[in-house]
Amino acid sequence: MRYLMTSISTETTPAPDEKLFADMAAFVQELTAAGQLLATGGLAPAGTVLTSRDGEITTVDGPFTEAKEVAAGFALIEVGSEAEAIELCRRFRRMVGDGKSVIQQVFG
Amino acid sequence: METVEAVWRLESARIVAALTRVVHDVGLAEELAQDALVTALERWPADGVPDNPGAWLMTVAKRRAVDHIRRSQARDRAYAETAARPGDDTADGDERDDVLRLMFVTCHPVLPATARVALTLKLVGGLTTGEIARAYLVTEQTIARRISSAKRTLAAAGVAFALPDGPELAERLDAVLEVIYLIFNEGYTATAGDDLVRADLCRQALRLGRLLAVLAPGESEVHGLVALMEIQASREAARTAPDGTPIPLHEQNRGRWDRLLIQRGFAAMLRARDAGGAPGPYLLQGAIAACHAQARTAEETDWARIASLYATLETLRPTPVVRLNRAVAVGAADGPAAGLALTDALLDNPRLRDYHLLPAVRGDLLARLGRHAAARTELRRAATLTRNRAEAAYLRGRADGLPAEDQDRTPSGGTVRERAAEFLTRHDASTRRSYAQTLDRLRRALGDDTPMTTLTADAITRACVTAWGEAAPATWNRHRATIRSFAAWAGVPGLAAGLERRADTRTVAGPLPTETVAALCADGAHPLRERALWLLLHESGATVTAALGLDVQDLDLDDRSAPGKGVTWRSGTARLLPALIGGRARGPLFLADRRPGPARTPAAAADLCPETGRRRLSYERAEYLCKRATGATLRRFSPGSAARRR
Repeated sequence: MRYLMTSISTETTPAPDEKLFADMAAFVQELTAAGQLLATGGLAPAGTVLTSRDGEITTVDGPFTEAKEVAAGFALIEVGSEAEAIELCRRFRRMVGDGKSVIQQVFG
Repeated sequence: METVEAVWRLESARIVAALTRVVHDVGLAEELAQDALVTALERWPADGVPDNPGAWLMTVAKRRAVDHIRRSQARDRAYAETAARPGDDTADGDERDDVLRLMFVTCHPVLPATARVALTLKLVGGLTTGEIARAYLVTEQTIARRISSAKRTLAAAGVAFALPDGPELAERLDAVLEVIYLIFNEGYTATAGDDLVRADLCRQALRLGRLLAVLAPGESEVHGLVALMEIQASREAARTAPDGTPIPLHEQNRGRWDRLLIQRGFAAMLRARDAGGAPGPYLLQGAIAACHAQARTAEETDWARIASLYATLETLRPTPVVRLNRAVAVGAADGPAAGLALTDALLDNPRLRDYHLLPAVRGDLLARLGRHAAARTELRRAATLTRNRAEAAYLRGRADGLPAEDQDRTPSGGTVRERAAEFLTRHDASTRRSYAQTLDRLRRALGDDTPMTTLTADAITRACVTAWGEAAPATWNRHRATIRSFAAWAGVPGLAAGLERRADTRTVAGPLPTETVAALCADGAHPLRERALWLLLHESGATVTAALGLDVQDLDLDDRSAPGKGVTWRSGTARLLPALIGGRARGPLFLADRRPGPARTPAAAADLCPETGRRRLSYERAEYLCKRATGATLRRFSPGSAARRR
């Protein structure tokens, strides 16, 4: 089963320091080695919003209505069950400090 | 508890591997790791899941291992080793190597292939016995038995928990790759069952392959296998229609191929190139898969390159399957006639006689040449041979979709299947069993739906040579006789014209010399029952059937004879008999080792010992034991019997 894990920063999310980079690198390496991490990446804080309404599409530059909803990064993982995805996400959260993550199963 | 299971799945390989390094026994290591898991199941619901559950499990498990060593007999040796390598603060690199070592152990060549697969999935993949059983459509007990006997074999063989080096590394790595690819293929094209894909096995194999690629980054074949699996897996969504019908590669909607997996496959190919060395079979197959993945449409496929890659692969692995695949590629690159010529060379290969893809490929090439009737026969034959229902339905559909030709109007003489079934009903049960063996094989070789009228003596001869070319003359002649009587009954006696009777060239071995028998029967390594039987045969000259048919109450020990049975013996047997009888008054003299199960209770009460409940030793079993122990048949112990046979 594949899951998309997105992480969302909050005001209290600590700025990344050297230790976090080192821990993250080790974490990513370990998950890659275990064949569980398929793709990962960070997302730029700025973005563009496209909205469809009555067949018309409007384009609005960021920021989002609420800056705290900006996804800061994502990881696409392949695991055997949702519990395993949650467990991996738990480890990730413990590393990065305050903030939140969303896990969604990816179909197809 | 879900979390515990999840953590276990994620961490078990590392834990079992680390423990194996400490205790030198995978079976024991797994037990100790399971103990830690049980502790977690007890403690976590109450105390909460620890911050780092993997490390927690590892610590508990290692503590168990140390406790075990303290208690165990091999204390001193093991102490020295654990002291030299403290268990709790091992570097990451070491732990990684532990998992690699574990894979080398679970894929060790001393184990049969099925056991390697089961043990690897259990210990490295973290699957439960039940999950493995479900994936392979066998019972849980079967898998449990395979795993426990594999552990025993490993322990008995003293397989070292060490990384092999030099030429041994390459050889052992091959075994690991083979197991991973076996698992992948079992998931990718299920050999049995209703679903074409068992995705969880594919995923496990991919995981194991990716893991191995990190553990052994310098081996190009490992990356080649990973590339091959990633690219094959990328097609999963496109391989079947919504109703489960398989869609061949060139008809797949390439938009449904998983670009992410394809890219991962390409990346693995690049890593393989960086690793260097001559391209091995997996790398070549990976390159072929990459060729397909690169083509944006089926028409853009670079068949010439694929054909040349197959030609190289054929020099490394000249297996019939590779040659068949090359025929497909050549058929696409240079036209169906060229491909068909290559498949013709495979027709009498005994290893392909039940391989459905040979007739499937031929059917396809024949159809492209416009030879529709022949194509239909081949496609239907392929459908009969495949064990996968979805694939069979697809092949039948293709056969039915071909335009009709004059020569294949409704067959007047019936099809091979119909006529064979009719023929069999005319005989009694035992003849039918023997005839059915021949005709079933023939039906599979010729195709069930082939009209009788289109059969030729050539086709029959080829089918027989492919199936029984290597068989003993007696076997060949038995099948030949069946085919002759079937052909005569069906009114086409000419069909068996190409089948020559084979002379039985076996030389019947004479009786064993008395000294040999004496030496064998004096050797205490053989069980008493065997020695008594051999000596009785030797001294009495009775037939094996007569000897095995003896009952305790038939014997006159003082007269050294069985009155009424015509069997007499001499002093050697007389010395062994009292111990063999062991106070029994009735029932068979020679008893089987075990009591019969409910389904195997003998029909005749006389074959069951009233005192022990065991049944009479069967001819087959006695013969097997004798051949295994002495290399000779039972007949050779009995001078009279051997002489009669001559």
